[in-house]
Amino acid sequence: MIKKQINENISLCYIPMTKLKTTTIGVYIHRPLNEAEISLNALLPYVLKRGCGKYPSQEEIARYLENLYGASMGASVIKRGDDQILYFDLETISDKFAPQGEKLVAELLSLIMSVLFEPNIKNGVFDADVINQEKKNAQDRIASVMNDKRVYASVRCAEEMCKGDVYALSRLGTVEGIEAVTPASLTEHYGKIITSSAINIFICGEADIDAAEIAIRKYTDKMTFKSAQIPSAKLFKRGGEINRVTEKMNVTQGKLSIGFRTGVAPTDEDYPALCVFNSVFGSGTHSKLFNNVREKLSLAYYASSQLDKYKGIMLVNAGIEFGNFQTAYDETVRQLEEIKNGNVTDTELESSIIDITNTYEECCDDQRMLQGFYLGELLSGTDRDIERAKAEIAAVTKEQVIAVSQKVELDTVYFLTGEDA
Amino acid sequence: MKLNKRVNEMTGETLYSGVHSSGLGIYIIPKKDYSSSYAIFGTRYGSVDSKFIVPGESEATEVPDGIAHYLEHKMFDQPDGSNVFDKFSKYGGNANAFTSFNQTAYLFSATANINENLATLLDYVQSPYFTPESVQKEQGIIGQEIRMYDDNGGWQVFFDFLSCLYHNNPVKKEIAGTVESISHITAELLYKCYNTFYNLSNMAIVVVGNIDPDEILATIEKGVKKNEPFKEEIKKIYPDEPETVASQYMEKSLSVAQPLFMLGFKDNDIGYGGDKLLKKNIEMSILLKMLFGKSSPVYKRLYEEGLINASFAPDYTMQPSYAFSSIEGESRDPKRVYDIILDEIERVREEGLDESTFNRIKKVVWGNYIRGQNDVEEYAATFMQLKFMDIDYFNYYDVYKSVTFEDVKKRFAEHFRKELSVLSVVNPV
Repeated sequence: MIKKQINENISLCYIPMTKLKTTTIGVYIHRPLNEAEISLNALLPYVLKRGCGKYPSQEEIARYLENLYGASMGASVIKRGDDQILYFDLETISDKFAPQGEKLVAELLSLIMSVLFEPNIKNGVFDADVINQEKKNAQDRIASVMNDKRVYASVRCAEEMCKGDVYALSRLGTVEGIEAVTPASLTEHYGKIITSSAINIFICGEADIDAAEIAIRKYTDKMTFKSAQIPSAKLFKRGGEINRVTEKMNVTQGKLSIGFRTGVAPTDEDYPALCVFNSVFGSGTHSKLFNNVREKLSLAYYASSQLDKYKGIMLVNAGIEFGNFQTAYDETVRQLEEIKNGNVTDTELESSIIDITNTYEECCDDQRMLQGFYLGELLSGTDRDIERAKAEIAAVTKEQVIAVSQKVELDTVYFLTGEDA
Repeated sequence: MKLNKRVNEMTGETLYSGVHSSGLGIYIIPKKDYSSSYAIFGTRYGSVDSKFIVPGESEATEVPDGIAHYLEHKMFDQPDGSNVFDKFSKYGGNANAFTSFNQTAYLFSATANINENLATLLDYVQSPYFTPESVQKEQGIIGQEIRMYDDNGGWQVFFDFLSCLYHNNPVKKEIAGTVESISHITAELLYKCYNTFYNLSNMAIVVVGNIDPDEILATIEKGVKKNEPFKEEIKKIYPDEPETVASQYMEKSLSVAQPLFMLGFKDNDIGYGGDKLLKKNIEMSILLKMLFGKSSPVYKRLYEEGLINASFAPDYTMQPSYAFSSIEGESRDPKRVYDIILDEIERVREEGLDESTFNRIKKVVWGNYIRGQNDVEEYAATFMQLKFMDIDYFNYYDVYKSVTFEDVKKRFAEHFRKELSVLSVVNPV
């Protein structure tokens, strides 16, 4: 990876990956999660994507991308720990596959620069029609979270668990917050954050990095920036009773989501052991949840666990019959107790290490995954490369897995059930 | 055996292929410098194949709906009581399987021990072991899989869409069957289906990744357990399907935030595979992007009127025995979207398609082909799926370049007919 610091806020990272036939560009604008600006942040990337100085309208941008052999530009907003990230994802086939020798990567970079730094502001504000259309889309996105019940249950569990913590805020903002946005308020917000946020630009694939730097500086060198840091996440901590929430909806399958506190940060010494623990417990076909909740008891088609490493949270998710709630819950807790009591087999440990190692290695064949890996390292302040991450996992012992499992505490039990159940 | 080597100058890819004496089709595509490899071992057998004549028999066999998918689940049980996942885990293979309308496939990805993982794949897919108890055990797991889809609005709107298009074609039936239909599945029926459709002459294997073709071939040859290819073909029996649509509209209610819709057109130009089918696919892909893509006038209108959002997705689905175009999305008013789409088609019918748009969109289709070769999994899965339609994905360019503006105009006139259009809607409760 080659890193160039454009200015105090903006960095450019180039990750060469010439074996693939594409080149991707990822732009990440970091904002601290907070109530006052979540809805503005949730709306802004979608408004910026609608037009820019170079190509003022959505159709013109679409036509331009089609001419680049169907290059793509996506905008979204994501959440990593306490960081709300405005994310632009662009991809094109690499220049060596351009039939007419076009400079596709440079074209794509110039488009995103115009989107970021030359927005469609007329008479001092964003277009009101565009804002109104995108406000409605943003509100629809909030409402549509319930469409996928598996995701919905998981989001709701984390929300209930972290009530009062900024992490409970949705990356999508709130319906009321979106409603309150005006062309003037969004324009003002844009002007504020574009020069006062940490911004990472990743290019992964095959590119002329010096030319890319020049293309970026063409815009940024004439601007004034106010120094900003990437927002860091605070580990989730809570005492007291286990939080139990049941929600009813018109569904045929129940969704169980159980939240645990891990108390372990990515920078902690036992973080690699936590990753292996999570894999043994519920991540993959070798895991205790898969083999017991699904295979042995036939309770679920899926039953798995995943970590939110930034917040020190682990969520277990399973889709079950309404009437099997207690059995599935008991079995999940029992499997965690098994690990705490030292019942981890050599096969479980080895399979988990191999599985995590595979995931790291697969990043090297996938430009977005590799960008995501490096972004994660930046955010958690661990700054490892793939080799080092693999080595840390490989060194984890059974004793360490058992030791770290003692820190894992049950926090919230969420169940989405039927209206008549 | 010796494999045939072909090099594609435009993409830089090399393909090694051949047919083993057992009838198994073998396709190996090395990817230099990749960390991961992917293998997929599949059969031309899916959820639509519930009635067939076994080679050598004269009577048709009819089996419960959902059996192909059930069989896929039960292949993971081994005669020695072990679990296949454990074997893959030992070699770091990430194993999975899927059943679609027309195929069942078993696969793994791995970054090491490719030959060991491949041997495991070949071994377990050729080692059926079903007992009444093990068959019974799966009822609960698959029952929950079916329930999961019952709550999935996207899945429901799709199957209602298929029920609108088709009177009898079994593609309209749920892949996993119903809780009722799978209750009739027995070990004996599973063996019958296995012994018919898992004959290697009905199967293919595709391996893509950081591999040595000679080693891979040696592992495959060693892994072949039964060298008894069928002399005649498996006769699949499908009910007659009229050219008309079954109904033009269906709706139901589920817990969704706003209405989901799927609209589209039944394609009656069917009954063939090979280059001809690939050409039709390219024509349709170009047409759908020209008419309804992000740069089209109708997209702009629907989007700016707030009738659609970014979920709006045109697509074309093809098989030799059925085909349709579709557009899915979310909308406050799906019927209005449907009306505007049909009006747009009439406008284009009068005013004609634009040739410069055709030329621009044709470039997109080429870019998508190039892009499709990045990912070992996507490449292998697409390669196999097309191979089962007698399409040579490696030779895409020859068919692609033959597609003309005239072809696309002709396809437009044939395909988009109002009486063959349908709309399926899932409304919020």
